[in-house]
Amino acid sequence: MADPGERAREEFFTEAQEIVEAFSRNLLSLDATLKAGGDDPSLVNEAFRAVHTLKGLAGLFGASKMGMLSHRLEDVLDALRLGRMHLSPQVLDTLFSAVDVYAQILVAEKEGSEAPLAAVDDLCAVLDALGSGGVPAGQLGSSYELDPGLLAVLTEYEEHRLRANIEHGLALYRLRVQFDLATIDRALEEIKERAKRHGEIITYLPTGESASPDTIELDLLMASRDDLATLIGTLGADHVVIEAVPRRRRPSLAAGTLHPPPPGGGTLVSLAPPAPGAEALVEEEPAPAEHAASLKSVTQTVRVDIKKLDHLMNIVGELSIVRGVLSRLSERVRADGQRQLSAEILRVHRNFDRRLGELRDAILEVRMVPLGQVFDRLARVVRQISRDVGKEIRLVITGAETEIDKLIVEELSDPLMHMIRNAIDHGIESAEVRERAGKPPAGTIALNAYQKGNHVMIEIEDDGGGIDEEALLEKAVAFGRIARAEAHDLSRQELLGLIFTPGVSTRDEPGDFSGRGVGMDVVKTNLGKIGGVIDVHSERGIGTKMTITLPITLAIVNALLVRVAGQVFAIAVSSVSEAIVFDPRKLKRIDGREVISLRGKTLPICRLDAVLALASEGPSEGRRYVVVTSLGARRLGLVVDAVLGQEDIVIKALGASFDDIRCLSGATELGDQRVGLVLDPAALLEEVLASAETAALGAALGG
Amino acid sequence: MGPVREFLVLALGGDDYGVELTSIREILNPPPITPVPRANKAILGVCSVRGLLVTVLDLRRRLDLEPNSAPKRRRLLLTNGARDEVFGIIVDEVRQVVRLTESELELSSAVLGDDVADHVLGIGRPQSAQNVIILLDLSRVVALSPEEK
Repeated sequence: MADPGERAREEFFTEAQEIVEAFSRNLLSLDATLKAGGDDPSLVNEAFRAVHTLKGLAGLFGASKMGMLSHRLEDVLDALRLGRMHLSPQVLDTLFSAVDVYAQILVAEKEGSEAPLAAVDDLCAVLDALGSGGVPAGQLGSSYELDPGLLAVLTEYEEHRLRANIEHGLALYRLRVQFDLATIDRALEEIKERAKRHGEIITYLPTGESASPDTIELDLLMASRDDLATLIGTLGADHVVIEAVPRRRRPSLAAGTLHPPPPGGGTLVSLAPPAPGAEALVEEEPAPAEHAASLKSVTQTVRVDIKKLDHLMNIVGELSIVRGVLSRLSERVRADGQRQLSAEILRVHRNFDRRLGELRDAILEVRMVPLGQVFDRLARVVRQISRDVGKEIRLVITGAETEIDKLIVEELSDPLMHMIRNAIDHGIESAEVRERAGKPPAGTIALNAYQKGNHVMIEIEDDGGGIDEEALLEKAVAFGRIARAEAHDLSRQELLGLIFTPGVSTRDEPGDFSGRGVGMDVVKTNLGKIGGVIDVHSERGIGTKMTITLPITLAIVNALLVRVAGQVFAIAVSSVSEAIVFDPRKLKRIDGREVISLRGKTLPICRLDAVLALASEGPSEGRRYVVVTSLGARRLGLVVDAVLGQEDIVIKALGASFDDIRCLSGATELGDQRVGLVLDPAALLEEVLASAETAALGAALGG
Repeated sequence: MGPVREFLVLALGGDDYGVELTSIREILNPPPITPVPRANKAILGVCSVRGLLVTVLDLRRRLDLEPNSAPKRRRLLLTNGARDEVFGIIVDEVRQVVRLTESELELSSAVLGDDVADHVLGIGRPQSAQNVIILLDLSRVVALSPEEK
């Protein structure tokens, strides 16, 4: 059992991580609205709150670096929300870099390192330099017939919002709303939410009037782009009266107002910088409703450590074993001649079986998270890289809500990141080249995800120059990965597959951002570890599309159980195409490789007992089989003694001691207390190809 | 009397070895073990203990001792390794628990041959018994360096 302190720390990391991710999402949305020429104050507010919360967390856990950074960020965000600083792309970049620095801080905290982080100090210096700028304050409310009583009670933030909206040319409206005292909190939130689509509610104030003792009347000041009719159409109701706030015909004259403007031409509120302690504003910000609610959590979610879910899955695995026992018991009772009892046990067995299936699916469902978690991070990378390489990139994401096992999501970010880098760096051409080719100057990268049966598909598509397969071939030949003579027989698709051979790149100079000594071969390997398969399609001049096929969950896999030299092994059915009887007479040797011919195509053969150095049980008298596994375009035949059948298995990772045994992807319980090993066909294939090369080399050298 | 440390005494090829009791999660009869191809020579394979996948280590092989044909009272000691790995250590027999005071402990490995020295915490000389106990450091026993694999 972890001690409570440890648990709390764990919570702290999870929480901080989540907040940083939310903060990053916020910045992305801000970036998008900024590009669209808009301005969404609620996003700045959310970002401010996220950082504010992080500051509090850091204080609780003595994470001083995080505290220091959050404090500086908070100042800048505060200046932004109050309109004292303009949100320029440069400021936004600085905010974006904070996301990465936070990540570094969390890693350092996790390792318990006390050393100062240069990145933190650098960023703090930049934030300090941004200062809390000074934007000249415009005349407030001077162009509208606003009630000075109202102006007098605006907070600094509300004032800024009012000014910003007026500057953006939005019209002001007054909503006079009757609220039921019992439900005012909810009703007020609701109307704010609805108003969001049309603009924003700047402030609200009780009018002091009310229709009955248990109602209250509020005036809501709202800014909107829409006209009065639209607003009345969507927000109007019996208890909501909407009026447009008239513009002043002559700014200095308060014609037609019931309240004479105070001397000073309508600006009542001084716009001095806030007094120390302005942070308290955050506390004033949420409506009273939120205060009441904050004592009780409003969310219906629970955070669960994935290990607990693994544990549940293990229990399900053990229950499957019980299920097997029940079925055998029924058989035995039947053999004893007690048909009635046997049938009863069988009924129980069936019922149990069904419920167990439901339980398993329910647990799997809990493990699912939307891919959006990774896509958000990628969007940030795209933004960063496209600026660095000076290419304009439009990222279009679809299917971010597609769900996949949490463990798979964690493993996806690096390979996807690499592929996106490739797309920007190698795929999308420079603006000039694009113009000449008649393409729009901005390159598009589409990131699509969707579910297909028991798999999740992720596509990364760019409209760049496509892959130059000739260049790939040159590289592969230069690296000795393929003989030039062989290349004639390769289709374009097979040539494209060369991109996955180690050391091969389409660039002479590895780009600053991709390359980095890792190539698509590493991407492929890493995806393989989570059961993913990657395919590439590319048209010269039109673009490239990489498609990744992933299992929805790693926890449960439908597997083929086979026996080799007395041991049971499992192979994921998703990689098996067929099983045939092994006929040793059809065996041929090509380039030091054993192959058989299957429907006119050569199929390399792997004798598992030899490759895994299993004590063979002497020459096998009986029939043996070849299990044909296919991985993308390549196939491999695994020679086994027997095929035992299919089963849903719970795969468990082998301990770290087995890390370098690549041909095994895990282990599973077989039900009689025994453990079976799960084979990784992809790794076996690599191995067979590599060993054949060495054999061929040996033969060539007369070894 | 200083603080007392408790050690579990194991029999292995006529010698007594001791491991710190706090490092042992559980002692059980070995379930069926599945050999893992290409693993380190000291690793017998993997087994499952109530759904937990355990890496099984043969203490004799780890300490380069003669293999024992068929010990009757083999036990599996569960202990935690690095990176969430759980190890099961196969021993010939578990004898007893001894409590050693500081004066009965000799924490150095200089007295022993090199083969074993890596895994040894020191020597225990309980006043109540004749034999010395070779105290093993389990965390080092289960740390298999890559070159040994």
